[in-house]
Amino acid sequence: MKRTLPKAQLVGLTIGFFFVLVVMPLLNLLPATHPLYISTFTLSLYGKYLCYAILALSVDLLWGYTGLLSLGQCLFFSLGGYAMGMYLMLKIGTRGQYHTELPDFMVFLEFAKRFPETGGLPPHWIPFRNFPFAAAAVIVVPALVALIFGVLAFRSRIKGVYFSILTQALTYAACLMFFRNDFTFGGNNGLTDFKDILGFDLNSAATRRGLLIATGLLLLATFWVCHWLTTTRFGKIQRAIRDSENRVLFSGYATENFKLFIFVVSAVIAGLGGALFVPQAGIINPSEMATDKSLEAVVWVAVGGRGTLVGPIIGAVVVNWLKSVATHSAPEYWLYILGGLFIVMTLFFPKGLIGIPGQYRAWRQRRNPPAS
Amino acid sequence: MKKTILNLAAGAAFLSAALVCPAADTVKVGVLHSLSGTMAISETSLKDVLLFTFDEINAKGGVLGKKIEPVIVDPASNWPLFAEKAEQLVVKDKVSVVFGCWTSVSRKSVLPVFEKYNSMLFYPVQYEGEELSKNIFYTAEAVNQQAIPAVDYMLADGKKKFYLIGSDYVYPRTTNKILKKYLKMKGIPDEDIVEIYTPFGHTDYQTIVSAIKKFSAGGKACVISTLNGDTNVPFFKEFANAGLTSENCPVVSFSLSEDEFRSLPTKDLIGHLGCWTYFMSLKTPENKKFVADFNKWLKTAPPGVETKNRVTCSPMNLSRIGVYLWKQAVEKAGSFDVDKVREAMIGQKFAAPEGEVTMQENHHLINEVFIGETQANGQFKIVKSLGKVAGEPFSDKFLK
Amino acid sequence: MTRCLSEILKRSQPWLRARFLPSLTVALLTTLATRADEVRIQLVSAITNENAKAQVALIDQLSTSTNSIVAQTLTTWRQGGVYIYEFSDDKKTPFFADTVTDADGKVRGIQISNGEPVRDASGQVVLFAPSELTAADTTSGLRKAIKTSLDILALSNPNPNVRRDSAAKLGLEQNPVYLNGFRAHLESEKNPEVRKALQEAIAITDLVSSEKSIQLTALKTLDDLRSVMGLDAVMKLETASKEKIPELSAEAAIARRHIQQHIAFSNFLGTLFRGLSLGSVLLIAAIGLAITFGLMGIINMAHGEMIMIGAYSAYVMQNIFLKAFGPGAAAFNWYFVAALPFSFLTAGLIGMLLERSVIRFLYKRPLESLLATWGVSLVLQQTMRVIFGAANVQVDSPAWLSGNVNYQDVVLAYNRIFVVVFAVGIVLFTWLLLTKTSLGLQVRALMQNRQMAACMGVRADRVNMATFAFGSGLAGMAGACLSQIGNIGPSLGQSHIVDCFMVVVLGGVGNLQGTVSAALGIGVTDQVLQPHLGAVMGKITVLTAIILFLQWRPAGIFATRGRGLEG
Repeated sequence: MKRTLPKAQLVGLTIGFFFVLVVMPLLNLLPATHPLYISTFTLSLYGKYLCYAILALSVDLLWGYTGLLSLGQCLFFSLGGYAMGMYLMLKIGTRGQYHTELPDFMVFLEFAKRFPETGGLPPHWIPFRNFPFAAAAVIVVPALVALIFGVLAFRSRIKGVYFSILTQALTYAACLMFFRNDFTFGGNNGLTDFKDILGFDLNSAATRRGLLIATGLLLLATFWVCHWLTTTRFGKIQRAIRDSENRVLFSGYATENFKLFIFVVSAVIAGLGGALFVPQAGIINPSEMATDKSLEAVVWVAVGGRGTLVGPIIGAVVVNWLKSVATHSAPEYWLYILGGLFIVMTLFFPKGLIGIPGQYRAWRQRRNPPAS
Repeated sequence: MKKTILNLAAGAAFLSAALVCPAADTVKVGVLHSLSGTMAISETSLKDVLLFTFDEINAKGGVLGKKIEPVIVDPASNWPLFAEKAEQLVVKDKVSVVFGCWTSVSRKSVLPVFEKYNSMLFYPVQYEGEELSKNIFYTAEAVNQQAIPAVDYMLADGKKKFYLIGSDYVYPRTTNKILKKYLKMKGIPDEDIVEIYTPFGHTDYQTIVSAIKKFSAGGKACVISTLNGDTNVPFFKEFANAGLTSENCPVVSFSLSEDEFRSLPTKDLIGHLGCWTYFMSLKTPENKKFVADFNKWLKTAPPGVETKNRVTCSPMNLSRIGVYLWKQAVEKAGSFDVDKVREAMIGQKFAAPEGEVTMQENHHLINEVFIGETQANGQFKIVKSLGKVAGEPFSDKFLK
Repeated sequence: MTRCLSEILKRSQPWLRARFLPSLTVALLTTLATRADEVRIQLVSAITNENAKAQVALIDQLSTSTNSIVAQTLTTWRQGGVYIYEFSDDKKTPFFADTVTDADGKVRGIQISNGEPVRDASGQVVLFAPSELTAADTTSGLRKAIKTSLDILALSNPNPNVRRDSAAKLGLEQNPVYLNGFRAHLESEKNPEVRKALQEAIAITDLVSSEKSIQLTALKTLDDLRSVMGLDAVMKLETASKEKIPELSAEAAIARRHIQQHIAFSNFLGTLFRGLSLGSVLLIAAIGLAITFGLMGIINMAHGEMIMIGAYSAYVMQNIFLKAFGPGAAAFNWYFVAALPFSFLTAGLIGMLLERSVIRFLYKRPLESLLATWGVSLVLQQTMRVIFGAANVQVDSPAWLSGNVNYQDVVLAYNRIFVVVFAVGIVLFTWLLLTKTSLGLQVRALMQNRQMAACMGVRADRVNMATFAFGSGLAGMAGACLSQIGNIGPSLGQSHIVDCFMVVVLGGVGNLQGTVSAALGIGVTDQVLQPHLGAVMGKITVLTAIILFLQWRPAGIFATRGRGLEG
């Protein structure tokens, strides 16, 4: 890795990935009574954190590096999730409440009357029986939505807070849309009760280990892609757009194409994260698109350290870990803890957790100026 | 990244520390209700009544000689978090049973968890049915214990036009689908049934109320509402201000119990109807004791429990019934083992405030059904008692 | 006595006697011979009787009485305001709660039987705490009977709205026994609205006549009056007579079409008003944000919570008034007037604290203000949950905000009218403050160029604090206002915040007139779409329209234009 990644971060990152990809799955293989045993629950929990980390990276790529604050990133996360969920839903087969090939909600909402020619399955669901198609949809659907929205938004040079609010409106509208039962995606109940993925039982520890490793690898790959994007010439333009778009424009660059490209890339990243999130969380429903979820993702980035690649990962894991612990040990007070953290981080640690060592060094230097 | 690892380690340490302490003379049970987020308005009361019931049972020696030790978590109205918390309760805290969930989606979200680990959930809130898991006991009202009796009552009252209004999610959609079929069976023509949905958290009911006003101008109309808790307030405020009353157009609400009624202008809403298996105004000795004991308990309640203006309502009562049924089944089985308890649960009877309830083989209760009219003091006056109705989750079984 | 008798004779119409012929000899004669006391005794027995059928009969008899106590008691009873006191010997006496409360919030009971205070066996006046009052039960059957009696009584009520409603109600029953009564009242009636209702009532009742000519005249009348109320009856007649009397059916079809056209027109007017009112709600909710976000650039996610604080302030003020004056007291109706400034001050104060402790460090990092204010919003929500409980709380609307007026069959609820008026007021107030005061001048200067303004001697620190407090205060006042039409709960703010941002951004950040037009535009569009698309699709369409609109005007309706390249 090149100059932008300090050595300490590189070492930390390596250890972290080694832990998630190798140590945790191995410890899960130990007998449950062993003191070092890590339960499948914990495994999946960290699997979800890593999915959130992928989402955080996609936010950071936009916000930290290009200056586009998207408040609708969870839309893409959910779209990826839904694409995967549809595949998983169809794989339940006859193991549902009604023991028919048709997913349960389609049975009791009488889709057979709406789509008689397919026996109740809406036509756009049919290809999702095929995993490669679903996997392609995970990438293509978010990309397509991002492309259409991006073309519209960037062509008319919407920026700053207007862009943020527009992305929020987009995800809000999509959320309402998916809430509708008529929209054929299960309404508020969403898609749940998945049984297996690619023939592997989703409840088995081995599948969970596999999913964790897959998520870890995806995060690693995402990290590499982002690192590569941000350290090349392209990355320079990106940051230049963030700092002064007009100067870049006047230097002869078509900034909207750059922005569009980065927007689509980040949507794809978010979609992939969502696709791996769904089998591990066991549910995808429209409230994942609600506006506060996307805000949360922004908060992870800010807590971890915006404009770095390690920061968002740390932020996503730490905030979600804190949430997991606090909702269990301090259910009445966890909002104070979380809210307080956000306030303190913004006021005192504007560079996020990742910036704390630097801040500390600067503070030390100010207190004891070097003797010379 | 080092931080992450530190945190990972700290997290693991913390979680395992939480694991080590179960004392021998207690049994852990999970409480899975949202204490923050949008559903906290409704679910907090259920957490309170569960704590009350545990204290009630513990004061009498607990279950199988063990004191109940509640593990309370906050799934924060966040559905994936529901699944996570359920798994945490089952795997990390090793609870014997979980009481919780309000919305259908939260139940759907945790269902695979309970099936995976073969543990047990008690679900206390009226719902659309169409589900049956061997790991869930539904003390909740099924559609045939609530919607159908209420509509029968309106038909008997001479109502000829029905305005079905609901929040746009699965429970209202399914209930209304069943009701429409039922009304058609009863000879109500299509043009006299209107079906309307509003989004979650909808605050503007002007258009709908003015439509209802015109709909009911010719008389003999009623509204069947499956609006969920929060949206009832703007709806009823608009309703009352448009000059509509229960005499010219009564509203039958399925998601409006005494607890939700606390936040409504009761004076303007006299005579609307509710249909539940329990009302606080029931005059049985068991209910008087339940209400009195609950009020007494509130005086010594732990922090975080609201003590002013409290009422009891059907979901609260059904939560409590669930705990007692579980206790009895455990005692019958002589063990906390889920399979044994489940077997012992079928046919279990409990002298509940509304009368005797029986757990059926389909995991739903045989329960009393009442129709009540709202009163100025926020209570329901029982206008009709329909006797015992056996809960049936699948609509095709009772729509014949 | 004689005066009373002649009065009753004069007022009691022949049709009344016709309806109650069976009870005429008993009821009317006793009524004629009665003094007020005996009416009271009759009332008491109606309330305390255990047999529902007997109760209905007694209530029917009471409808012939002209004594004002009857209407008063029946009305209060129906609303649950008649209470029962049980003496130790199982005897019961019904009573009203006195309007005057003592220091402990307790009230005396005024017995219906004699208008005297309730006394216990020892002759002591009994005082009731509000929680100790047991309301006299009513059932829907009973209330229907009460309502019918009240309707008959109400035809002579001094309030024209009441007369109109009762005429409508009785007319829809299509019971010919009322006809003479309607005609008699029509002769003496001056109020045009009541006259219309009476004419409609007569015509609707005439529709069930057995003579074709009467039916045709009735149809003509309903047609001329564009009677919405009569639509169902007309349509019924149209289908019923299709085979037998085609001529009648054809007439009915004409009347139906005309009425339906009228309904379409009335719906159009209604939509306009509802759009205006929804727009006003949005405007009231967003105007505080137009200050803190629009002018100051703070992405204020805690704006919704300021609204919530305002709503809870109204709740607190209501409770203070309840404690001080007791329920039902006339003074209670004015709590809302006190609540508005109170919620402004509370939210303003909290806004000021927030500005001093958090916001002022973030003026140079506006995007990060989003993060901190979101933290603040979480903390505020949980605080409210701890103080007031997780459940929603309830605010009673003052009497002058409940009810409605009717124009062209459009219902204009008082609280909605108030919201519109309030929106106008609040915009005017804000506009005056920003353009006509020196504070406003300083605010605008500061927003345009922070450093320059500071150089010119604007005390940036103070002005910022005042502006943020003012914006928060406006949000608080919005909360008090919204408490009259919606929920008051810890997540109240969450349901408004997205809409608020949408309004401010659509209007153009930093532009008051933009905010106004955006709010009204969204409101009217939403209400126009709703009847056709339903509430859900309507909202989605509005959101899509906003997204597309901003493609066309990327900086909102009223973009702030400047020569600088970086807006």
